[in-house]
Amino acid sequence: MEDQNEGKNKAMSRPHLLQEKDYSALKELFSHHIESFDHMVDNGLETMLLSIKPVEVLDSFFKLKLRIWFGKPEIFPPQKERTSKTMHDALYPFECRQAKLSYTGKFLVDICFQYGDGAVIREKFNFGQFPIMLKSKLCHLRAADDSKKLTAHKEEPSEMGGYFILKGLERVIRLLILPKRNYPMSMVRNSFRDRREGYSDKAVVIRCVREDQSAVSVKLYYLNNGSARLGFWIQGREYLLPVGIILKALVDTTDHEIYVNLTCCYNEEYDRVKGSVGTQLVGERAKIILDEVQALSLFTRAQCLQHIGEHFQPVMTGMQNCSYNTVADAVLRDYIFVHLDNNHDKFNLLIFMLQKLFSLIDQTSVLDNPDSLQNQEVLLPGHLITIYLKEKLQDWLLRLQRLLQEETDGEKKKFELSSLADVKKTIEKNAPKQMSLAIENMLKTGRLVTQSGLDLQQRAGMTVQAERLNFLRFLSHFRAVHRGASFAGLRTTSVRKLLPESWGFLCPVHTPDGEPCGLLNHMTASCRITSYYDSKGNIKDFFKIRESILRVLTTIGMIPSAPKLVKGGPPEELSVLLDGRIVGSMRSDKIEEAVTYLRRLKVSAISIPVDLEVGYIPLSMSGAYPGLYLFTSPSRFVRPVRNISAPAEEGNDLELIGPFEQVYMEISCPDGGDGGRKNVFPATHREIHPTNILSVVGNLTPWSDHNQSPRNMYQCQMGKQTMGFSSQALNCRADQKLYHLQTPQTPIVRTKAYEKYCVDDYPLGTNAIVAVLAYSGYDMEDAMVLNKSSVDRGLCHGHIYQTETIDLTEQSAKSDRAQRVFRRSYLDKSSHQLIDSDGLPYVGQRINPHEPYCTIYNEITSQTTNMKLKGSEPVVVDYVAVDVKNKTHLQKANIRFRRSRNPVIGDKFSSRHGQKGVCSQLWPDIDMPFSGVTGMRPDLIINPHAFPSRMTIAMLLESIAAKGGALHGKFVDATPFSNTMKDAESESSSLVDELGSMLTASGFNYHGVEVLYSGVYGTELTCEIFIGPVYYQRLRHMVSDKFQVRSTGTVDQVTRQPIKGRKRGGGIRFGEMERDSLLAHGAAYLLHDRLHTSSDHHIADVCSECGSILTASLIQPPKQKMQEEVRKISGLPPAREPKKVTCLACRTSKGMETVAMPYVFKYLAAELAAMNIKMTLKLSNGAGA
Amino acid sequence: MEGVSYQRFPRIKIREVKDDYMKFELRDTDASIANALRRVMIAEVPTIAIDLVEIEVNSSVLNDEFISHRLGLIPLTSERAMSMRFSRDCDACDGDGQCEYCSVEFYLRVKCLSDQTLDVTSKDLLSSDHTVVPVDYSDASSGFDNSTNKGIIIVKLRRGQELRLRAIARKGIAKDHAKWSPAATVTFMYEPDIYINEDMMETLTLEEKRELVDSSPTKVFGIDPENKVIVVDAEAYTYDDEVLKKCEAMGKPGLIEIHAKEDSFIFTVETTGAVKASQLVLNAIEVLKQKLDAVRLSDDTVEADDQFGELGAHMRGG
Repeated sequence: MEDQNEGKNKAMSRPHLLQEKDYSALKELFSHHIESFDHMVDNGLETMLLSIKPVEVLDSFFKLKLRIWFGKPEIFPPQKERTSKTMHDALYPFECRQAKLSYTGKFLVDICFQYGDGAVIREKFNFGQFPIMLKSKLCHLRAADDSKKLTAHKEEPSEMGGYFILKGLERVIRLLILPKRNYPMSMVRNSFRDRREGYSDKAVVIRCVREDQSAVSVKLYYLNNGSARLGFWIQGREYLLPVGIILKALVDTTDHEIYVNLTCCYNEEYDRVKGSVGTQLVGERAKIILDEVQALSLFTRAQCLQHIGEHFQPVMTGMQNCSYNTVADAVLRDYIFVHLDNNHDKFNLLIFMLQKLFSLIDQTSVLDNPDSLQNQEVLLPGHLITIYLKEKLQDWLLRLQRLLQEETDGEKKKFELSSLADVKKTIEKNAPKQMSLAIENMLKTGRLVTQSGLDLQQRAGMTVQAERLNFLRFLSHFRAVHRGASFAGLRTTSVRKLLPESWGFLCPVHTPDGEPCGLLNHMTASCRITSYYDSKGNIKDFFKIRESILRVLTTIGMIPSAPKLVKGGPPEELSVLLDGRIVGSMRSDKIEEAVTYLRRLKVSAISIPVDLEVGYIPLSMSGAYPGLYLFTSPSRFVRPVRNISAPAEEGNDLELIGPFEQVYMEISCPDGGDGGRKNVFPATHREIHPTNILSVVGNLTPWSDHNQSPRNMYQCQMGKQTMGFSSQALNCRADQKLYHLQTPQTPIVRTKAYEKYCVDDYPLGTNAIVAVLAYSGYDMEDAMVLNKSSVDRGLCHGHIYQTETIDLTEQSAKSDRAQRVFRRSYLDKSSHQLIDSDGLPYVGQRINPHEPYCTIYNEITSQTTNMKLKGSEPVVVDYVAVDVKNKTHLQKANIRFRRSRNPVIGDKFSSRHGQKGVCSQLWPDIDMPFSGVTGMRPDLIINPHAFPSRMTIAMLLESIAAKGGALHGKFVDATPFSNTMKDAESESSSLVDELGSMLTASGFNYHGVEVLYSGVYGTELTCEIFIGPVYYQRLRHMVSDKFQVRSTGTVDQVTRQPIKGRKRGGGIRFGEMERDSLLAHGAAYLLHDRLHTSSDHHIADVCSECGSILTASLIQPPKQKMQEEVRKISGLPPAREPKKVTCLACRTSKGMETVAMPYVFKYLAAELAAMNIKMTLKLSNGAGA
Repeated sequence: MEGVSYQRFPRIKIREVKDDYMKFELRDTDASIANALRRVMIAEVPTIAIDLVEIEVNSSVLNDEFISHRLGLIPLTSERAMSMRFSRDCDACDGDGQCEYCSVEFYLRVKCLSDQTLDVTSKDLLSSDHTVVPVDYSDASSGFDNSTNKGIIIVKLRRGQELRLRAIARKGIAKDHAKWSPAATVTFMYEPDIYINEDMMETLTLEEKRELVDSSPTKVFGIDPENKVIVVDAEAYTYDDEVLKKCEAMGKPGLIEIHAKEDSFIFTVETTGAVKASQLVLNAIEVLKQKLDAVRLSDDTVEADDQFGELGAHMRGG
């Protein structure tokens, strides 16, 4: 025990010296992106392609029929374009970033042809360059699994992948919240009423997802007359069918069977008992439903199918010539409950949904909250690409069919359908390469170009750029979950609410302030998303999994559902749904036992997947609709908790639970006592650690449990705006802008997550000695005083790396076809100091604003143009990279500049506790207060007023702890809630005691205060001052990027007022509110100065006769040449002619006067005149007249 | 008031002197003088530090500015600094600061040719003046192994990387940039005057005495063999009032009284190695004197009146 502790201490005290870093925890955070893409490549695309319906082309003349469908896909790892076809060089991500290329691989698809009933011909076609996710199976970096190999490929040693590179930019697919698949949800929406006359606002909605991930939502509306309508969308239009027809069309059944099935949920015995969902109204409604069908004189299944087929034939593309029965079959197959392939299952599900709908109407169950995580899942990158590609390919195939049909039917007899070569030619004409391009464009812009909408709520903002501002920001892009863009504009705030259902899955702290608050959430550090791969990395076979689950279920007392078998309803029996299929029912008194048994199997992973969601909704008095809902599907949230119900061996008791089941589980949290459950509901599960509710970023705040909660939220924001070590591979990167901290440190006070996620590789702050006192008056209102000498010695020094990419091919394509190259001018020697003979700057050269940094030579006009540096600060050329693909002429170059950004007055800093401040003064070292004992001067002074109202106690703790840690040469663990995790015996000392004794052991004050002396006077300060090291972050907001000054400058063409915009040297708007304040002060002269003299002061000529300011016209005086010559000779400037103006309206210059006015006023008069409104001025002398 | 002189004659008693460390007492003066001395030692005693770097080749991982900054912070032996000229006042070189009177040239030429990482340290800096070289810490009588102590690391090079540069060191003071500061720390404290009320102390039990002694985080008090509370080390007292608070908490205010002697200071000086600690104090006094001379000079001239108007008269004490 002793030894172990020592070993731990060593690791704790010097973790940065560990030889081999363990990035596995970090990699796991990104795994859902990569696994979903991997599955798409492995299996998803093939399933999708096979599910696309074949098309047929008919040559009526030769009676020849050609069937075309898709076969297997094949995607290759990214390769370089080469002139010689035999050579194939791997294209690496680093090269894509530098050359602004896309990281794509060749995408081939088999297309199968079959003439009549002849043999199937397979032919591979090139579908373009498919974007490849980094670190996926097709990525070259996948093989480079250790950091040495990664660095050899010029990547970060910890490169996690999960994003795409498109034209040099790194983009991530945003995780979107979707309604939980294959689960019927009861909903109330006012918009349902507007569907048609007689509709109520209630419905049961199910989002059905096929195996290829494409989804179709089906809504079951309740009609006020007691009937129900099934609504589904075909090609952007909703079709509503009476349920009776569908029930009858699905299976051969009788009215009686339907009636019995529907009313099984009602039993007079159990009327109004706990858990009963049916009422006697159900029977009446069933009658209404059946009567409706009868009224349409549809009695048999065949009649119903005929009816459906008749009505849907026009909208079903490619089925114009089919029989009504096949059309109806297609409708049922492709649009109704598409996750099921058996009509009996569909029938059972529809009955179940009807019962749920009726119970919602009868208020025996409540509606499901679509905003709660319980009823949600997530859209994964691989799935999005698959469904988008599916639609594109479907369209393409239909287009191909049309093209072929046109060609065969065409007059020109050049085309032969029987010749495969002709067909292939047509296929090439149909631009198959556009398919991959569509994917690339989708990733590039984040916009879905689609007709159907893919059953998604939004069409834009699907991807975001993965900014590498710092590590935390980069990481957060992959952990973020967005609620959907459509909710951003919503005025109601209910979607943004933090609901208890999201406990442990979404971080309550890590959500931005303001507009996206509550919509953009982040997954907790322990939250995972179920994937297609099991723990061994094999693709899951869902069919087998379901089979084995069914086997287990039947052994524990489930009555399997079978055609014609009528089961009982709640509260006697509960339906068991497995992935949206009614697999049977179970007696409600046995079910609880069954659930615990299932959970035990889940933990031991015997014949049941570990991530199976056992959603058991128990019987209740008009609570949620009861049942046992099992889910095995991918893209669900899961997180680990300890199962303590069964005594299992240590370490093997982790159970993965989902948000759906969590609501009905008893999970104790070490921080929460018994959570009020007393002995009635004993806890069956326990949280691993209370910090499991926090995201990675939220977990990094030390002792966040001692802070006021909004402060932790602010820190989550500011942590992501910090200037830090953005990248280890800085010299290989060509990002547009990279922030870089020159002298970062590892924090003395840190949480366990800090080491777990290797944040030391990307440090983002400095341990600054912070004194809390009001010293100079320059620390008021969150201003802070920095020690100038500390800054001199390198505190918070930083750089901005900015890359300028110059692509001459791009520019020349736009304007002219001129061949342009980088070349220095031979004539203009002035730039030779800055630019080398190749037209590019010297590396290490300092370049001042408006100086050239590269020269381009136009070979046709033989002109040279200089690219000049914009901005107002000098830069240093850090790196120049050239693209040598074009061997003769250099066409593409990256020039990376380095701007040094050392702290100046106005820069922003913050501690890790949401305490941000602006540097207001760089105070000389000698003027800083000093400690008499150690002679220490603080690096930083903040005002004590920063604490009382903000209550960031953890910052005070951090200061004390860091001081103690620094004195003892140890890192201090500041994991929040860790006191609750300790054993009862060691709990004797409180945190403060622990920290305080560290200080007293080294002869410091227990409370972290010290006696300081005034640096200016040398006298003791009256108070003891709280002083100690606090980890400070430098935020990216810097004055040099923001300041705006102007004296005179460009003015607007129309209004002659100063222009706006910092970049163009514009002014700051002096707006209405500013005007009001000056008015209130009576500062009339200043107001006049601001709004008139310094703005658009103008002296206008006004005709006092007609009062117009627009009619004044200048009379050109006859040139008096003689006089001018005389003046020229005598060396005097030409005399100014007295200006002569005349009024064009009055034809006289008699009444012309000059009046000072804002120029916009004249413009207003002109605008009014254009509307036939005449403005006249009445001129008078002096006031009051 | 006329004729009354408040002149005092401060005394210095040196307690301990090492090359880079010194402890002394300053008596018979007040805080203003003590603080002035401290301030001058930190910020106004001139030293020599690298101020201009011309980089010829830099293929290391660190950028030019970073290396220049690091070079600037290397302490150089600056015994010559007091007699050297500020390059801005140098008339030999017209203020461009490259002559021998006001500058020292350094060269650094390193290339890594082996597979092992090469540490470029301050020892690789070649000086044109043997009196101005990077401070050598290796001969300090500390327990460090001299063979491994190679000086201050500037940058690490891997195979094929090279660093070639010329640097010019100039005289300067820390007011301009902290790199010119000769002092690592200079601090002073008022000498405490501790009075123990023996009679009242007798009323305490041994247990209570121990508590009292332990209440001070630093070891100020102790218990002698006769179980009496005695002052072990008065200067260890940090004016933290912990003992006084303890006395009050025990219900015995006045048990111990501590006052700061207003006219006695204990100085602790640590240098960066640029100047010897003893020399630093002497230089500081010299600089302080020069400053006072400057005040006295302007005192005599009437120019001060033109410059400061009424303020000038005040400055003369009028």
